[in-house]
Amino acid sequence: MTHSLHREGSLESLAKDYVLFIYPARGFNYKGSAPKIRHNVELLYQAGPVNMIPTSLRRNMYSGVTNEEILESITVEGTRVYSVFNDREKLKQALALIKEADEGISIMVSGIIDDVRQIAAELGITPHMVNLSLGIHGRTDRLAPADIREFTTMCGHGVVSPHLVKDMIRRVKTGKISEWDGSVIMAEPCTCGIFNPYRSAELLREKLPLYTVDRW
Amino acid sequence: MIIHEEICVGCGRCQPYCPTGAIRYDGLKSRIEQDICYECSTCLRAAHCPVDAIAESPNVYDYPRALRRYFSDPSATHAATGIQGRGTEESKTNDVTHRVGPGEVGVAIEIGRPTLGMSLLDIQRITRAIARAGVHKIEAHNPIHSMIANEATGELKPELLGERVLSAIIEIKVKRDELRGILRTLLEVAKEVDSVFCIDACTIVDQGLAIPEEVLDSIRAEGLTWRPNAKINMGLGRAWE
Repeated sequence: MTHSLHREGSLESLAKDYVLFIYPARGFNYKGSAPKIRHNVELLYQAGPVNMIPTSLRRNMYSGVTNEEILESITVEGTRVYSVFNDREKLKQALALIKEADEGISIMVSGIIDDVRQIAAELGITPHMVNLSLGIHGRTDRLAPADIREFTTMCGHGVVSPHLVKDMIRRVKTGKISEWDGSVIMAEPCTCGIFNPYRSAELLREKLPLYTVDRW
Repeated sequence: MIIHEEICVGCGRCQPYCPTGAIRYDGLKSRIEQDICYECSTCLRAAHCPVDAIAESPNVYDYPRALRRYFSDPSATHAATGIQGRGTEESKTNDVTHRVGPGEVGVAIEIGRPTLGMSLLDIQRITRAIARAGVHKIEAHNPIHSMIANEATGELKPELLGERVLSAIIEIKVKRDELRGILRTLLEVAKEVDSVFCIDACTIVDQGLAIPEEVLDSIRAEGLTWRPNAKINMGLGRAWE
């Protein structure tokens, strides 16, 4: 999940993409953390994440699993929760509820620094640390094109394949599936639950005109 | 991962799911190139083979190939750390652990990301360069640490050097005044590796999420910039154990 700071895209697109982690610290607050984490997840639901996975149940919101099943799975001490929001105000609501509940579990947000700074100021939250992305180095000529990376970098572990993105572009372009369905398919390999299908659908709409297909 | 040739119907559905393009047609059937496969299991988990032809390799947990699974499958619990994933809690719980303190910078080298992977030989090039720069302490709780044969030189265990991983993270900690030197080292070794890595720098912030100028100056001095988006620890955690 370290990679969430390297999500690529325009500022306009990244302004609809905020990752939120609920992260207990091994040896510091694992014991007794499960009910606190579950409570935080209940609060997240009130704000409306667009994707989420707890480590106790590695299935995302679009896999057929219910919210109740996700909550029921959070019985293991040290369960970590990964989620993503597509709206600044929803993120702010989630943070406000979590701050008020004061369960004492670490909360991370990956997003535009200036926006998070502003939200923190509005809520009276004092951020502790920033993890900056200093870019990609080495054989960057071997990377997938930048517009494909806007999709693939939405998965922290790099298991959303550039080939799958291109295949979804082809399938949407040829009318076989919708932008939304293509985005849900792309979200499935991501077991960290931070692939944002709303942003992905927007990106597909934006990029489809740039591509032609060589097979139907 | 393997595809049972006698079961595969050659529909090709699984092929785009492989992050590294290891699944290709061999005649009329899909086949996984074992040398390229990172054992991330994405094809098994997400491609939904209509005839269940995809399976784990019988030798997936054999040492040293098991490294591929531990480092490449996000749902695999790493034998060295007991946690799922390639790294540690790093900045995510620093408000509780204080692993990186005031005046220090945590530096992470995210190997093979995004979605390219890297050979252990290339990882060794990076660990050697870091060691030459005088940093001999890679985060002990990071799985990479268990792969190092000699901390002083950065040499990895020789039996691992034929392996490849989809991603891994080297985590180190330096004083703020040492940041510029380690960044320069990383930019130099970037010219030697046959893959990519991302660089992360995490630091405690001042009031109002103000990033210390000393850190930003070091980044600028090496000709680097930072992305407008970052990962931010909101400071809401506390210890009770």
